[in-house]
Amino acid sequence: MRRLFAGSFLGLGAIALVAFARPGGDAPEGPYVMGIGAELMTQQAPQQVPGQEPLIDRGMFDDPRGPQLDYEEVQRTAGRFPFYWTRAIYSGGGFGRRGGGGGSWAVDFPKSDQQFLIVIKRLMRLNAYDWENPVYLGDPVLRKFPLIYMLEVGRMYLSDEEVEGLRGYMDAGGFVIVDDFWGSDEWDVFEFNMRRVYPDKQFVDIPLDHPLYSAYYTIDHVEMTPAIGNTERRSECEWENCFTQVKGLYDEEGRLMMVVNFNTDLGDAWEWAEQPSYPLETSTYAFEIGTNMIVYAMSH
Amino acid sequence: MDGLFEFFFKYRQIIFEQGEFAFAAPTSVRTWLGIAAVVAASAVATYTIARGRSTILDRGIMAGLRVALVGVLAFCLMQPTLTLSTVVPQQNFVGVLLDDSRSMLLQDENGVPRNQFIADAFTPEQSELLTELSERFVLRFFRFSDVARRMDGLGEMTFDGTHSNLANALDAAREELSGVPLSGLVMVTDGADTGERPLTEAIVPLQAAGVPVFTVGVGEESIAPDIELGRVELPRTALAGSTLMVDVVVTQDGFRAGTTVPVIVEDDTRILVEESIELGPDMEPVVTRIAFELPDAGPKRVRFRIPGQQGERVERNNARDAWIDVRGEREKILYFEGEPRWEVKFMRRAVVDDENLQLVLLQRTAENKFLRLEVSDSTELEFGFPATREELYRYRALVLGSVEASFFTHDQIQMIADFVSERGGGVLFLGGQSAFAEGGWGGTAVEELMPVILGTPDGGEDGFFAEVDVRPTPAGLAHPAVQLDVESAEVADRWDALPPLTVVNPLLEVRPGATALLMGTRSTGGEQAVLAFQRYGRGMAIAFTPQDSWLWQMHSDVPLEDQAHETFWKQMLRWVVDGVPDAVAAATDQEQVEPGELVRVTASIADSTFIEVNDASVSATVVSPSGLEETVLLEWTVEEDGEYAGEFRPTEMGDYEITINADRDGASLGSDVAHVHTAPSDREFFGAARRTQVLQRIADDTGGRFYTAENVSTLPEDITVTGAGVTLAEEHDLWDMPALFLLMLLLMGAEWGYRRIRGLV
Repeated sequence: MRRLFAGSFLGLGAIALVAFARPGGDAPEGPYVMGIGAELMTQQAPQQVPGQEPLIDRGMFDDPRGPQLDYEEVQRTAGRFPFYWTRAIYSGGGFGRRGGGGGSWAVDFPKSDQQFLIVIKRLMRLNAYDWENPVYLGDPVLRKFPLIYMLEVGRMYLSDEEVEGLRGYMDAGGFVIVDDFWGSDEWDVFEFNMRRVYPDKQFVDIPLDHPLYSAYYTIDHVEMTPAIGNTERRSECEWENCFTQVKGLYDEEGRLMMVVNFNTDLGDAWEWAEQPSYPLETSTYAFEIGTNMIVYAMSH
Repeated sequence: MDGLFEFFFKYRQIIFEQGEFAFAAPTSVRTWLGIAAVVAASAVATYTIARGRSTILDRGIMAGLRVALVGVLAFCLMQPTLTLSTVVPQQNFVGVLLDDSRSMLLQDENGVPRNQFIADAFTPEQSELLTELSERFVLRFFRFSDVARRMDGLGEMTFDGTHSNLANALDAAREELSGVPLSGLVMVTDGADTGERPLTEAIVPLQAAGVPVFTVGVGEESIAPDIELGRVELPRTALAGSTLMVDVVVTQDGFRAGTTVPVIVEDDTRILVEESIELGPDMEPVVTRIAFELPDAGPKRVRFRIPGQQGERVERNNARDAWIDVRGEREKILYFEGEPRWEVKFMRRAVVDDENLQLVLLQRTAENKFLRLEVSDSTELEFGFPATREELYRYRALVLGSVEASFFTHDQIQMIADFVSERGGGVLFLGGQSAFAEGGWGGTAVEELMPVILGTPDGGEDGFFAEVDVRPTPAGLAHPAVQLDVESAEVADRWDALPPLTVVNPLLEVRPGATALLMGTRSTGGEQAVLAFQRYGRGMAIAFTPQDSWLWQMHSDVPLEDQAHETFWKQMLRWVVDGVPDAVAAATDQEQVEPGELVRVTASIADSTFIEVNDASVSATVVSPSGLEETVLLEWTVEEDGEYAGEFRPTEMGDYEITINADRDGASLGSDVAHVHTAPSDREFFGAARRTQVLQRIADDTGGRFYTAENVSTLPEDITVTGAGVTLAEEHDLWDMPALFLLMLLLMGAEWGYRRIRGLV
């Protein structure tokens, strides 16, 4: 485990190092060295400059990913892969479904999903579909994917159909990872929506001795992962003196159904891990907790 | 019939069967035949010469009749005789074996008990049969139930024997009378043999000694109306809370087919289930499967009974008892999964509230990195999959998920095979991208375990993938593992309602000798073996080939309150540990005995790697119902490795607890507990109708005869002519048989009549 951790750490460092060396890069020198496997890692990670289209020069390396299918095909053949990184589509924060177009569900989509999958498949043995998989919360097909990722929930406004869909999903055993919302206003919006799903359930802090923090990596503290534009300021709610919280929602049997990453933005850390400006320690943390959440969800 | 035969032929049929035919005339047969031929020829010539009005046919018929008459006369003149070897009076012995078991107290339809025949036939100075026997033979009387014992008079008979062991009785009598000239044995019984020894074992020595057995059957061949609860087979152990499905065999005679009667299953404290069953036609056994749950741990004596029905003649054959050890332990199952998969989460979730299952998870999350859950301590599986037999054999079952064969060392693969065949563990193979042929298991020692036939891995880029609609096979409909949570009649519909699963291992067929419980129809066409099992060595191997049974929990078509997934996995995991032996196992030859009967205690002893141990110190502590302790030492039987045996005789009524302790070189190998119940036995009332076929077979195989009360009067004479012992040759003339005289009259009359009809007089 220690070796894997070190490998991934060094690999992520290498991503940053290569990015720094790109023309136009203005990042300060980092204390990083190339580690074993870092070169391959570097090749696998898509390179991108903020504001530009993803820069994947397929002439430079062989993309190890399998073919990307259209979303309907993915959902029709669910089961071909043991794992799909599935993003929940919900109402609120704009309009549009599936493939972007305005809803807050689509923030960081699809690069964050794709990059997270590439890295996580290097870190652990996960036979996952290589591409994003957005599914509407009210769609019955959601039940074929026992883990979903929801972000920017501070702007969500769930329809009745989505409320029913989310409740049924969690009651049946589905696991939800919530991410990327900041401050009490956004919490209130999220909580309001969740009250419609479970009127009587309370969010509970997940303490550091919870198995979630040791399912794969041993994590001894919770890190705030900033959005790409806030790497200096770190927090988007510092006027509230906010701090990152990891909360959980449990069912009647005491089983964890939802992990809420509040006042933090794991998605940006996954999406911008290769950026020189993004702090390595926080992107490392984001991949670690992401890995742990998946291992935990798939075994508990 | 015998009387008619004797009237015409002068002697009884048995004389003809036993005797040797000969002509006693002083001159040779050829001479007499010559004379007869001359006479016959002259008769024929007479008819040939005297033509008259007769035709050729007339002359032929009349000549034939005349020749036949001459032939009969010639036969008589040759003095035909039967030479018999008959026993010398009062120089031979006959053993009389009288059934002393309880079934002899059963009453026939007319209210007369079976043992009345014994009183009538063998009371001195009142019985003609006994008088005749006594005149011809020296009689030795035995009473028998389990074994035969000599007796001096009928007063010693108690009719309280709990067994009717015919083989033991014949052996004992033969041995007792081996030093005297023995003409035969007479066995008076209903033939309801409750012994476990094959009769052949007793018959062969009798054949070798030339001792015929004359059997006398008493009682009716059919007891009606009656219901008999014939057989119940309960497993020796079960996990607390498991649902047992037990076959109950019920036979009836005299009731209307289709009549409904209740079967009650109960333990000492409560009724576990009550089910109605329909009776079959007369004497046709009906097998009914009864499902019930044993919620509490501990040894249980379970009673199956049918309340006595109106008019039923024997009610003591309406119940059966059986012991079962309901285990309260948490059975350890090792689930090794080669990669993070949803099956892990949902299987654990399904059985988490089962107090009797400890599903220890070892999941490979990266190369050489494992997640361990539900381990007993921090050292368990510390280095991954067990590398030694001792470590692996701690588990009672193994679940292998999607993990390729190349992950294991050669020794570990052999160890998995031995885990089933030698340790007697259960193994469950799950479908997945690294399972079965796709995981490279073909050609390994583990492939033999798999109850499905591995094909060639799909070489396509995407691999094989199909949805399967799952349905139970006829065997599955009757198997507890796939009953889900509904009444048995609804099981097929329940499976129909579940959503399809997906498979990535194309497994078309089950291995010869394996049983398919679930089959599937693939979306791509064709069949898929979904759930199959086979016994392998001491253990069992199961294959469940889909990769996502969790859909039965998560799928939107499955209502949230549906418990199909939970029930399925609880039943599956309980099944895979069912009957898995311990290193030390105790057993008794009988579960219920009467006080004073011998109980044989056996123990199979193995070490922690399940290699049989022959040099252990094994003792049994027997605790009586009143708390008295007795220690019985068990000795290695030599016949079987690791098998030890000892005996004790319970004296009190109630439940005896027998605790086996085994150790070697001061170190304990383990212990186990068995139970025996002592109570008055009803064994004699099962299958209590007269077994004519059994008794006929004993007689036929030994050269004796079978009798009933109606024809037993000929017994003394029959023994005289068929029996062994000191004999002398005796000739019986046949020339004066009435049948010959009648035949001659018939032939003469026929000729005369023919002449009259044809006008040839």
